[in-house]
Amino acid sequence: MNCLEFERILPEVLEGGHTTERQAHLNSCPACSTLLADLNDISVQAKTLADSAEPSPMLWNAIEAQLRSEGLIRRPTPPPAPWFRRWQTAWLVPVAAALAIMVGIKLYHPAGAGENEQPVRHIAVAPGETVRAVSSEDQQFLNTVATRRPARQAKYRADIDDANAFIHDAEQAVKSNPGDVYAQQMLINAYEQKQMLYDLAVDRSSLQ
Amino acid sequence: MTGAKRLQGDKLTEAEAIEQAKQGDAEAFEALYNLHKRRVYSLCLRMTGNTATAEDLTQEAFLQLFRKIATFRGESAFSTWLHRMSVNVVLMQLRKKGLPVVPIEETTEGEEEGTVKKEPGAPDERLAGSLDRLQLQRAVDELPPGYRTIFVLHDVEGFEHNEIAEMVGCSIGNSKSQLHKARLKLRELLRANRAEKAGKR
Repeated sequence: MNCLEFERILPEVLEGGHTTERQAHLNSCPACSTLLADLNDISVQAKTLADSAEPSPMLWNAIEAQLRSEGLIRRPTPPPAPWFRRWQTAWLVPVAAALAIMVGIKLYHPAGAGENEQPVRHIAVAPGETVRAVSSEDQQFLNTVATRRPARQAKYRADIDDANAFIHDAEQAVKSNPGDVYAQQMLINAYEQKQMLYDLAVDRSSLQ
Repeated sequence: MTGAKRLQGDKLTEAEAIEQAKQGDAEAFEALYNLHKRRVYSLCLRMTGNTATAEDLTQEAFLQLFRKIATFRGESAFSTWLHRMSVNVVLMQLRKKGLPVVPIEETTEGEEEGTVKKEPGAPDERLAGSLDRLQLQRAVDELPPGYRTIFVLHDVEGFEHNEIAEMVGCSIGNSKSQLHKARLKLRELLRANRAEKAGKR
């Protein structure tokens, strides 16, 4: 076997097709022996190229943006915004208070109170506490509460202030980021909270 | 570990990430991307020889994967599925650009035989000592596109000749023959680079 003949069957040899004749040629021909070794080395070294390169760190951002635009990634629930965090627990306060008032109206409703509604009284405000303005509807609501449960008037005023502040903060959040569905949902929650307080006031007639 | 590759600092297996990605979970998508990005990007880069194109193709491959992930039923390994998809993306790109997927025969005329050049007095030094990954990478980038495709698919990515033949649209025999020529061409490039370096010293 000469070198040209060996070259023709080299691919077979590389796949392990050794024969005594081929081996004899390799033993006697340093050039063919080196060629075979080089091709083997190239093939072995090639495997190290499989994960040798790192894409730009920005590439994932582009992929993620595209996935979001196609709706393949669902919108993650963002952590509560700072303005909302304080409402997470405060939310239960007016609800509980409203329920307490409802029960109180049922149990302690004085006879004929409907005919003797009192004008709104002065509400004590702690030093440093901001007195918030209330709308005429809110005032009417507070007046009604004052006649049903005078002792809870201050608490209800605080609940209305909380509800109004919640609405205000949520409105600001929606204004500053109109596309934020989370802020939109919080605004709905804030209105629902206030609506609940009103509903309780409306229900007074049925509790009488 | 193949069936339960841990992702995100041991929080998630690959199988869990796939299921969560099917539900549209962003972190699961990212975990799968991080697990396979180097392999896919390296494939794209080796086959195109261009970083910008490789990033575009990597992006396209992952987007295709994530668009179809809901259809993944585990019939084949996820990585096999992804890499086959990546190869198809690259091959489509090469065809679009009019680059040869299969080596052009004309360029190899006269190279098939007589590769073992006898140089009287010249030592038949093996490449081994001077063959590192960077040099090989550079030499692969210098290969004509058709050779590069076959070489990368077989020797780098580990596809079999029947798979390559199916992917690039050639016969198995042609794939084998082109691979051999690609290896010979690489050897030639590596030896030339080594000689050039030696000449500069």
